[in-house]
Amino acid sequence: MNAREEILTRLRATRDPSASLPDLRPPATVPGDLIALFVERATAVGIQVMKDTAHTWVASAVSELRKRSIRAAALWDDPLLSPLAAALESSGIEVISPARHTSDRLAEVAAGITTADAAIALTGTLLLPCDDRRPRSTSLLPPLHLAVLPADRIVATLGHLFQVLHTPLPSALTFITGPSRTADIELTPVMGAHGPTEVIAYVLMD
Amino acid sequence: MRVALFVTCLVDQLFPAVGEATVSVLRRLGVDVQFPEGQTCCGQVAFNDGFWPEAARLAQKFIEDFDDSDAVVAPSGSCVAMVREFYPVLLRDESALADRVRALGRRTYELSEFLVDVLHREDVGAHFPHCVAYHASCHGLRGLHVTTQPLRLLAAVRGLELRPLPGVEECCGFGGMFSVKFAALSGSMLDAKIGAIESTGTEVVTATDSSCLMHIAGGLSRRNSPVRAMHLAEILAAQ
Amino acid sequence: MRQDRIDFVHNSERALADPTLHSSVRRAMVRFRELQRPVIGEIEEWQALREYAHRVKLHTLSHLDQYLEQLERQIVAAGGQVHWVRDGAQAGRVIADLARSRDDRTVVKSKSMTSEEIELNQVLEAAGCEVVETDLGEYLLQLAGDRPAHIIAPAVHKSKDAIAKLLAEKLGVPVYDDAERLTRVARDALRRKFLAAGVGITGVNFAVAETGTIVVVENEGNARLTTSLPRVHIALMGIEKVIPRLADLGVFLTLLPRAATGQRMSSYVSLLTGPRRAGERDGPEEFHLVIMDNGRTAIQADPVMRESLACIRCGACLDVCPVFERTVGHAYGSVYSGPIGAVITPLYQGLDVAGELPFASSLCGACGEICPVKIDLPRLLLELRARVVQAGGASWAERLFVRGWVATMARSGRLRLVAPIVRLLHRAVARTGIPLPYPFSRWTQFRELPPPARSSFRERWPFAAVGRRR
Repeated sequence: MNAREEILTRLRATRDPSASLPDLRPPATVPGDLIALFVERATAVGIQVMKDTAHTWVASAVSELRKRSIRAAALWDDPLLSPLAAALESSGIEVISPARHTSDRLAEVAAGITTADAAIALTGTLLLPCDDRRPRSTSLLPPLHLAVLPADRIVATLGHLFQVLHTPLPSALTFITGPSRTADIELTPVMGAHGPTEVIAYVLMD
Repeated sequence: MRVALFVTCLVDQLFPAVGEATVSVLRRLGVDVQFPEGQTCCGQVAFNDGFWPEAARLAQKFIEDFDDSDAVVAPSGSCVAMVREFYPVLLRDESALADRVRALGRRTYELSEFLVDVLHREDVGAHFPHCVAYHASCHGLRGLHVTTQPLRLLAAVRGLELRPLPGVEECCGFGGMFSVKFAALSGSMLDAKIGAIESTGTEVVTATDSSCLMHIAGGLSRRNSPVRAMHLAEILAAQ
Repeated sequence: MRQDRIDFVHNSERALADPTLHSSVRRAMVRFRELQRPVIGEIEEWQALREYAHRVKLHTLSHLDQYLEQLERQIVAAGGQVHWVRDGAQAGRVIADLARSRDDRTVVKSKSMTSEEIELNQVLEAAGCEVVETDLGEYLLQLAGDRPAHIIAPAVHKSKDAIAKLLAEKLGVPVYDDAERLTRVARDALRRKFLAAGVGITGVNFAVAETGTIVVVENEGNARLTTSLPRVHIALMGIEKVIPRLADLGVFLTLLPRAATGQRMSSYVSLLTGPRRAGERDGPEEFHLVIMDNGRTAIQADPVMRESLACIRCGACLDVCPVFERTVGHAYGSVYSGPIGAVITPLYQGLDVAGELPFASSLCGACGEICPVKIDLPRLLLELRARVVQAGGASWAERLFVRGWVATMARSGRLRLVAPIVRLLHRAVARTGIPLPYPFSRWTQFRELPPPARSSFRERWPFAAVGRRR
């Protein structure tokens, strides 16, 4: 018998049908303005939240990059980001498309720009999917991660998120709640461990 | 209302004044207190140390001594937790006995929970004009969910000034045989507890369990501290 | 691999002999508890969530074959591979073979208690791989040649100065004195390793049977790097990590970060389903899940102890335990310490080796109260104590004392006979101050004896004078 058979045989012998599976719990209701709650909770975990409209956010984003003297930014290939790609190019900031999001290139670039498929108000969390046009490392290797989120994608809780999640799942679904951090040195919290040191989230209000 | 007093072995032999105070408070509130004289010990010391067959003998004896009582009251959270939480575990292989003991457990009460939850009294007519810090004994707190009852009773004592205790829910370090087997750990936990007590400037420290108080008093005494350890019943009996 | 008996009395006394260790750990623990309390308190349904999680785990553990098979099917359908191993040795061989098959033998690892349990690093190094721990705390310990002291904060026993000197010595950098600079030093050193590594190894917080998804929870980003950059991702898990449905994560991911680190959500939660898809630029080309037994089926078969497998390795029980607080380090003789360690170490290593651990507790119950999956840890400690005694593990002194006690208490008549004699002895000791023999000497080492009573309560009963109504 190989290990698989051994393990399964042992487990089959000790099944206990009296231990039943509870039904899924309905998610807890969260009263009030979800956008305001998201802003509060995301800010609390160190995300810089900018509320903007579809017309104004691009100029603001360009200005944030210029403030930091950023000369190249990796962008997801997402229709929401096309106006930004154009604006960056005309500002002289190099736009790196997903085809060139190799780890070596991303490790040199100062900013990674993505969208978010959803956000959770209760915890200030962004949900990022992953595919050929939207690599996982874009929000991981560069020290600045900038995420664009239409406000109507904000849900109340994690429980609500799982209700709207589509299966089959992508190869990686990443929940991002703040910059990377550690507290391993005398439990002193430090922002910026292995992942980004800064996260900016644009919440688009229309 | 009639109750049977389960005085507990520790109070019976070492802290009889706590038993007297318990009777005094109950009688003051019009309760008829019986003392089934065959009682001895709930068996917790044996159970906690892993001697379950031995502890079961004492559990059976407890049932015999108290089964015909309408209600049992004890000045000890840990002994009541033993009866309510752990007698059913101890006797799980004897289904008839297990049912009786579960029913008995439902009508066995620690003193403060009896006064507040059953008699619905918080003011028991006590007068104790001193500073008092309350330590939340673990078994009462986590086993019986005795959380606010002692505090509400203390709040109603005339002249009493309650001093909040930092780390009130932290264990004093007694733990029965643990206090001897792992004496250094127990001593260190006692240090932390006494440090917290002394930081309040209190005159008296109180709790629902004589076991904790014996341990704490032993530490206070070793340090020649002026702080007195008194059982909740003694404070409630004071007039 | 026979182990020596874990002498927790000795180990704890040695730990207590270092008061600075205790005070720095206590500071850390108090801070953890301060963070935990509000984020748990704000979830009104916390107790209901605990109960739900407990029932989901118990159900899963009682139907584990079914869910593991479903997990396997789903992972294979997503393009991944599943390897079953009966013990740590086999796990080491399988993983070493996978790592060795790459040209690049640099292996980056993110935190995995399970890999510590089986001493995986040693096996990989023997197979010619360079293994790099990438959690900051684990990296520091690796540099120092030390082992983790806590499930969540492995380097909690190291001071900032010690860390600064360590990095200076091993990496040739100046001795910095602030945590931010130290972190950046480690980050830069590790970045290079991530970019070069051919293999990434992680643990698994949860494995969702319904979708074939493994979940990795972290704050630093090193697990994301470990699962994004190297061409091969190997995830190692014990059989007990599987949960039935994706939506169950809604509850488990609410419980875990709040209990573990006092956060509403950890910085990163990665839900990984198979290797990269066609056209993707990053992510592993190969995904391997290693499903390991290593003693778990035996615990699963034990109806009383089965619930200990519900553990989600949050570390909350360690954070509230007064014994762990004072003995953090390696006093438990096992990778698993604190209350959960005191339960599972005897189960994994045997009562003869670890039988003392369940007794090293005052049974305060703080662990059972905090456990997010409602494992009744105090009750399991008591059950283990009963097993130790039944197996003959109690000392002669204890047997004598307990049996004598019970015999005396079995009849009130006997108690009435014996009690005055004991009181006489007690008075004699109190008056003369004779040092007491073992084990009573262990009491007086740290505190005074209680004073003898003048008479017992039962001798005074009835006392009509007491409690006359005014």
